[in-house]
Amino acid sequence: MPGVEEDIRNLVATIIEKDPNEINPDANFFKDLGVDSMMALEILAAIEKKYKISIPEEKLAQLTTLNQTIAVAKEFIK
Amino acid sequence: MLNIEEIQNILPQRYPFLMIDRILELEEGKKVVAVKNVSINEDFFGGHFPGNPVMPGALIIEAMAQASIALFYSADKAVSDNKKLYLLGTVKVRFLNPVFPGDQLKITIEPVKIISTGAIVNALAEVNSKEVARGELSFSVK
Repeated sequence: MPGVEEDIRNLVATIIEKDPNEINPDANFFKDLGVDSMMALEILAAIEKKYKISIPEEKLAQLTTLNQTIAVAKEFIK
Repeated sequence: MLNIEEIQNILPQRYPFLMIDRILELEEGKKVVAVKNVSINEDFFGGHFPGNPVMPGALIIEAMAQASIALFYSADKAVSDNKKLYLLGTVKVRFLNPVFPGDQLKITIEPVKIISTGAIVNALAEVNSKEVARGELSFSVK
């Protein structure tokens, strides 16, 4: 899956309005990056749209860092 | 079809802020088509604008948001009722044509993603099959 990390970093950066290079991949979305629950839902929906996949709601709670988000996405991207 | 009584069982909004008069189609969690009849008697036309009545774009968004609540409700009635608090998260809407007194606003809402605590939807508003606004809304439910 080449480029997934970078694509998701860019997609997350756009939604949370940060420079892609400023996001520490292990920084906590909520505590460190000011992400709220609606932004998390937008991230989930944007990943679904980009990769034409469906990620169940239960996974939303796991989107806590960029690395975690990438890991969740990779579970569903074929 | 849902009449105004049935709509008020779903939506928490009331006069003078109920922006949906009728729901023509309600496909559970998939699609809502709603109607807002725009009358010269609307209070806001007195100020928007004097002698030149145009429906405020912000209220077209409100009509879209209210139709979206009906979609959310239809997706999972268990987590939605007219006592819930619905809060818009983001609004990305483009306005294409003005809406005047006498127009019938037809609003179509389709989901991008619905979860138990919120939703992202695509919204389209038309008058006589002509697009007047379209975009994307997200909202949370408490």
